[in-house]
Amino acid sequence: MTLEIVVMIKQVPDSQEVEIDPVTKTLNRMKARNVLNVADDNALEAALSIKDRVDAHITIVSMGPPMADEAILECMGKGADRGVLLTDRAFAGADTYPTGLALAAAITKLGKYDLIFAGEETSDSSTGHVGPGVAEFLGIEQITYTHSVEFEDGYVIGERELEDGVEIVRAKPPVVVTVLLGANIPRRQTLRKKIDAIRKGVETWTIQNLGIPAEWVGFKGSPTIVRSMKTIKEKERAAKMVRVEEIGGLVRELAGNGIINVEAEEK
Amino acid sequence: MTGLINAAPTEKPEEFRNVFVFLETRHGAIVKSSLEMIGIGKEIADKVGEKLVCLLVGDHLEPMAEEGARYGCDKVVGAESVDLEDFKTMPYAHYAAQFITEEKPNIFLIAATHNGRDLASRIAVKSRTGVTADCTVIDVDTKERILLANRPVYGESTLAEILCKNHRPQMATARPGVFKVPDQLDGKNCEMDIRKVNVDPSLIRKEIVGFRPKEGFDITSAGIIVSGGLGLGKKEGFTLLESLASELGGVVGASRPAVDVGWIERDHQVGQTGRAVRPKLYIAAGISGKAQHIVGMKQSDVIIAINSDPDAEIAKYSDYFINDDLYKAVPEFIEAIRKIKEKKKEMEVSA
Ligand SMILES: Cc1cc2nc3c(=O)[nH]c(=O)nc-3n(C[C@H](O)[C@H](O)[C@H](O)COP(=O)(O)OP(=O)(O)OC[C@H]3O[C@@H](n4cnc5c(N)ncnc54)[C@H](O)[C@@H]3O)c2cc1C
Ligand SMILES: Nc1ncnc2c1ncn2[C@@H]1O[C@H](COP(=O)(O)O)[C@@H](O)[C@H]1O
Repeated sequence: MTLEIVVMIKQVPDSQEVEIDPVTKTLNRMKARNVLNVADDNALEAALSIKDRVDAHITIVSMGPPMADEAILECMGKGADRGVLLTDRAFAGADTYPTGLALAAAITKLGKYDLIFAGEETSDSSTGHVGPGVAEFLGIEQITYTHSVEFEDGYVIGERELEDGVEIVRAKPPVVVTVLLGANIPRRQTLRKKIDAIRKGVETWTIQNLGIPAEWVGFKGSPTIVRSMKTIKEKERAAKMVRVEEIGGLVRELAGNGIINVEAEEK
Repeated sequence: MTGLINAAPTEKPEEFRNVFVFLETRHGAIVKSSLEMIGIGKEIADKVGEKLVCLLVGDHLEPMAEEGARYGCDKVVGAESVDLEDFKTMPYAHYAAQFITEEKPNIFLIAATHNGRDLASRIAVKSRTGVTADCTVIDVDTKERILLANRPVYGESTLAEILCKNHRPQMATARPGVFKVPDQLDGKNCEMDIRKVNVDPSLIRKEIVGFRPKEGFDITSAGIIVSGGLGLGKKEGFTLLESLASELGGVVGASRPAVDVGWIERDHQVGQTGRAVRPKLYIAAGISGKAQHIVGMKQSDVIIAINSDPDAEIAKYSDYFINDDLYKAVPEFIEAIRKIKEKKKEMEVSA
């Protein structure tokens, strides 16, 4: 029986190039290059490495503007079988609740699903809430913040990173798994798969395809609103230049101020 | 299970009162970041003249309920069962949502640990409300009793204030290490409502089959940190930083790429996806100063940057900038400390 895997991915502005529009207080996406969210690439890799070993079919699902099909094609170029882009004006301005709702509605429409992968978080909204939100809408368990995921004997085994250690969790599908940024080394696209992907294309679904009212998604369906944006003022630091020959003086200054302790320790 | 349903506005928001805090527990004690939530939760509750109610889910909850009481909870509610001993998302979210239905809190705070974030979004969806992630500033509009949830966005350059006006509870997760752990009291006036529950077996769908504890290293408690980045160029660079750290009585930290290439273990990583530290002295050697690193160390008292690039971004976050090869600067640093120590020793001997 084919394992049905869904990977949720998002196209995000390259985090090194982002600018904020001072008027609308939103990301100025025009300036930054758009890329596949890095953790989502790790999530895809986790899915692909399961597909390397068992009979599996991978569908990419993403909600975003029409140009997000590029990111989906990239995933297909790496080995995903199908791509679905939820794109509609109605989806715009969504916080995590309606984002999760729209994605869960799309996944429900796909039919059977065993494993649903997501990244730990996106670089542009960094909440990590969408994956668990989808799990809740679908009423299934989740294994979050994993650095490794295996599928064996009908069980998913995930290693989760917690503040005090690594927890090993086992669950039967269906389950949502979120993958840590840097959990693995994502493979590259192959020319062959890239060509296949372009031939297959990305399916685009609008709100009509999801069978939920348009007011439930996007800005209208979002419980939270951004009231204001303020630049964070950094503490001013002097950046006093110190040459290598002056390090002795610096060390004496730090010792004098009690920043470092130069009492010869008892051996 | 919530099903495919929207977040309809809450019908009588004025009926929702009090501040809720979820107390995450590990190995029989409340985690530090949840104690921090008690601190900020109490502050918010006091401002609007309401109570702070803390929520526990787990087994053998009594000592933790008492601990919560000592830190300032007005009331502790809890669901207790052997089936809840390990953190499992579905039953934990179930009981949290059940207490929300019963107690109708206006505000609900959860520490943004991995388990806290795992849970928060599910509770929010169950309660058909919003949640603001990873806040660093939390306040309340005392007239409207609206939570002012502030979170850093866009690589920590901007603070966004996020409101959830029409839905209850107003939920937020808060970044660990930002808020203060409150002082302990006698905890005598705390009301307790810990219930034994029978967990519906359909909620138990995952099993914790193992745990590998971290081997004791906790960078957040260090007073002095000497961190290295890709500029070290090789794994052995950390041996050099280790000598400097040990002369200073400190520990070694790292940027994320230095961890990713395998030069040092992940518990040394400082930054957005590593640990946030605030030592007396932070030395950054061969680190460029990208936002995701800066956010983890900018609270340090004194920052020294060592970087061969005169335009390195780290310079503007530093008190002292040594613009040179770290392989020249660090040995010089070590030498300088040794010299002073020698001198001190001589003086002591002669005195
Ligand atoms: C979502 C996300 C989360 C992230 N989380 C983190 C995080 O938690 N922590 C983190 O650190 N990063 C994090 N990053 C990565 C971050 O963006 C930067 O890539 C990283 O901090 C850069 O590391 P670096 O300074 O070691 O390397 P580089 O940027 O490559 O800098 C190396 C520096 O060393 C200097 N140098 C080279 N040789 C020498 C020499 N001989 N002597 C002195 N100086 C020298 C160079 O001038 C340069 O400035 C994250 C990124 C993302 C997208
Ligand atoms: N618009 C979206 N489309 C598809 N997946 C998404 C979207 N937003 C978030 N996700 C998934 O949810 C994860 C967490 O995102 P976030 O909650 O925004 O930090 C991401 O890494 C993606 O896997």
